[in-house]
Amino acid sequence: MSIVAHLPRRVLSLTEEEAANPPAMELTGRRKATGPEHELAETIFAEFRQDPRHHEFVLGCLNCGECTTGCPAARFYDFSPREMLQIAATGDATTLWDAMQEKIWACCQCYTCNMRCRFGNDIAGIISVMRELSVVHGLESTRKTLAPFGRSLTLLMTVGTQVSSDMIQPDFFRDWGPFATGSDKVWDVSSDVMRKAIPSDVLQTTRSSWEVSVQTSLELFRIYEETGVLDMLRGLDPDLTEMLIDIIEERREEFQDARGRFAKEIAAMRGPVASFTG
Amino acid sequence: MLSANEIRKVVAERTEHQKGTGKKVVDVREELDRLEDRGEVIVHRIRPANRPVPLTTLFGWTKQIPTDRLWHHKSCGQCGNIPGYPSSLLWLMNETGRTYLNEPHQTSCTAWNYHGTATSNPVALAAVAARNFHRAYETDHFPLIHCGTSFGDYKEMRKLLVENATVRTKVRDVLRKMGRDLVLPEEIVHYSEWVHAMAPEIVARKKHSLTGVVATVHEPCHYYKMVPEDAVYDDRVYAGQRPAVPSGILMELGATVADYSTWYDCCGFGFRHILSEREFSRSFANLRKIRPMVEEAHADVAITSDTGCVTTLDKSQWIGKTHGLPYMLPVLSDVQFAALALGAHPYKIAQVHWHSASAEALLTKMGIDWTSAKAEFREYLRSLKNGAAPELLHPAHGEIENYFAINKGQVLPEEVPAASRVPGATAPIVGGRSE
Repeated sequence: MSIVAHLPRRVLSLTEEEAANPPAMELTGRRKATGPEHELAETIFAEFRQDPRHHEFVLGCLNCGECTTGCPAARFYDFSPREMLQIAATGDATTLWDAMQEKIWACCQCYTCNMRCRFGNDIAGIISVMRELSVVHGLESTRKTLAPFGRSLTLLMTVGTQVSSDMIQPDFFRDWGPFATGSDKVWDVSSDVMRKAIPSDVLQTTRSSWEVSVQTSLELFRIYEETGVLDMLRGLDPDLTEMLIDIIEERREEFQDARGRFAKEIAAMRGPVASFTG
Repeated sequence: MLSANEIRKVVAERTEHQKGTGKKVVDVREELDRLEDRGEVIVHRIRPANRPVPLTTLFGWTKQIPTDRLWHHKSCGQCGNIPGYPSSLLWLMNETGRTYLNEPHQTSCTAWNYHGTATSNPVALAAVAARNFHRAYETDHFPLIHCGTSFGDYKEMRKLLVENATVRTKVRDVLRKMGRDLVLPEEIVHYSEWVHAMAPEIVARKKHSLTGVVATVHEPCHYYKMVPEDAVYDDRVYAGQRPAVPSGILMELGATVADYSTWYDCCGFGFRHILSEREFSRSFANLRKIRPMVEEAHADVAITSDTGCVTTLDKSQWIGKTHGLPYMLPVLSDVQFAALALGAHPYKIAQVHWHSASAEALLTKMGIDWTSAKAEFREYLRSLKNGAAPELLHPAHGEIENYFAINKGQVLPEEVPAASRVPGATAPIVGGRSE
C-alpha cells in the first residue's frame, strides 16, 4: 500500500476555507509568489537571466555536490551552493524568488565552492548577482536581513571604511569578551587613549578605521552617485539615504571652507587636488 | 580539498572555456600592455626604485614583488579592531629600511560590504579600486594591499577592467570627473607576499628562538580562492601544493608548522555573519577551525594573513567556554608574529591587548618578558592620558591633509623619462616615509 494512503485526508486536499485563503507556503515548503509579487518575481528572473555575468558565471553542472561538501554555510543552514547553481542554471521565476527570500543570505562568500567546482562555475558570484537584484528591487525580506547594517553602511558610504573601534560596544559584542570591547575596564583608560597608543597618527581615531581626508570621502561619494549605488540604497532604505546625503552636503561645505583657508597651498599644487571641487 | 595540481587543471580548463567566448584573457598583464599601447589605461609599473623580488604563482608565472617605496592600502577591519596588524607591518618596514606612505587619502575596497550586503555593483567596486590605484600612482608609490578580501577583489576588478570595455569606459568617465584617470597596477600585491619576499632580511634580524613553538596556519580564502592563478606558491612550502604565504615565513623563522584536517575551510567570517549572525561565525570558528588546531595539531598559536580571519578566529573563542570549548588559542597575523620574533614591543607595536585570546603564554614560550612590557605599556597609557605625545612609526600628517589628498612634491610618474627611472630619481626620503 502506498504511504500516501496513510496520510490524513486534509493534507491531500484543501478544505473550502483553505482554498479561499491559500497558505503563503506550499506543502513543499516553497514560498509562492502571488499577484504583484508574481509579476516582480518574473521581472527579477528576466533581469537575472539577462545579466551578462549569468553567462560568464554559470557554465554547467553535473550535480556532483563537491561545492556543497566544502561549503561552511551548508553545515549550519538549510543551504546548498549546488541548489543555488541549479536554480541559476535551470530554475524558474518562483524558485529564484523563493531562494532570494532567505537562502542567498546564508552564503559566506568564501569562494570554497568555486575552488572545488570542476566546471569552474562562479557560484559565489552568481549568488552575489541574486543578492544585488534583491537589493535593487527592495525586497521586504532583504530589508529585514540588512536592517542591522545601518551603522556600518553609514560609515562605508561617508568615509569608505566598514568598521570603527567605537562600533565594538559591549552591548553588541558581548560574546567577544572584555578584551575586545572594554578597554576602560581592563586598562583604566578611555578608548580614545587606547587609540592614541597605536603608533600611527592616521589610526588614532575611534570614529572610523582610519582618518579619511574630506577630499577622499567626497570622491568616494561621487562614485556612489555616478554608479547607481546611491539609488540602490534608496530603494532599500530611503531614510538612511537622505541622512547620508545630508552628511555629505555638510562635508562639501567643510571642503569649500578649507579650500578658502588653504588657497595659497592648493594653488601651488598639480593633479586632482587642484581640480577637484567637491 | 583539491591539490594545487588539480586546481591548476581546473583553472586552466576554465580559462580555455572562457577564451572560447572571445571575452577572456589568459594573463591580464599581457593584455594590460596592449591596452596601454592603445591609450586606454595607464599601467603603474614596478620600477627599480621598488626593489622588486621575483616570486612564482600557481601557474609558474613570475610575479615581481615590490619591496620598497610602497603605498599602504590599509584594511578597515584590521585598523578598526586589530590595529597591531598594520602597526607590526609598518614596524617591520622601518626595521628593514623600507620606505612607504601611510595616508588618510585611501578608502577601503568596500568589498566587505559588497560580500555582506550586496549594496554595490561591479562598476562601483571597480571605480573604488581605480581611485585608490590612481592615488598610489600619483604619489609614485606602489600599492601594497593589507587585506585578503581587498587583494581578491582588486584582482577581480583589474580583470574586469581589462576584459570589459563597457565597464572600463564607465569607470574612466567617473574618474575623470574627479580629475583622475584609469590606472591599473602591473601586479596586485598582498602584504604577505612582501613578507615572503623579505624573508631573508626578516630572519636575519630575529631575536627570539621559536624552537618548540607549534603554529597552525589558516589560509585566507580570498587570498587563493579568488583569481587563484595569481596566488604565490613555493616548492619549499608543502611541496608547492598549498599557497606559500603565510606558512613560508613561519618555517623560515624556525617555528614548527603543524597540519590539521580542516586547513582549507574558511574561518566563518561570512562578511554579513560576523556582524549580524555571529552564532554561525563562532560555531564554525570553534568547531571547524580552533578545535582541530588544538586537538589534532596541539598548536601554541594560529597564524593567518587576513583581517576577517584573525577577527573571527580570535574573537569567537571567548564565548566558546560556555559550550565546553575553552581553548583560547592565540590568533595572530604573520606580521605580528614575525615582529614579535624580531623583538617588537608586544603591546606598543604588536598591540596584542586588542585580541580576545591572550597571547601571553605564547610570549613566554617565545622567550619574551611580557610582564615588564605590560607594566611599561600601562605606564605609557598613563602618560598619554596625562597629555604626552604618542610615539609614532612615521611622521604625523599636517592639518591640510585632513582635507586634501595633496601632491607632496613627488615627480609624477608620467613626467619621469624612462631612462631616469632608477632609485633616487624621486623625492628625498625622510624617516620611514617618503616626503
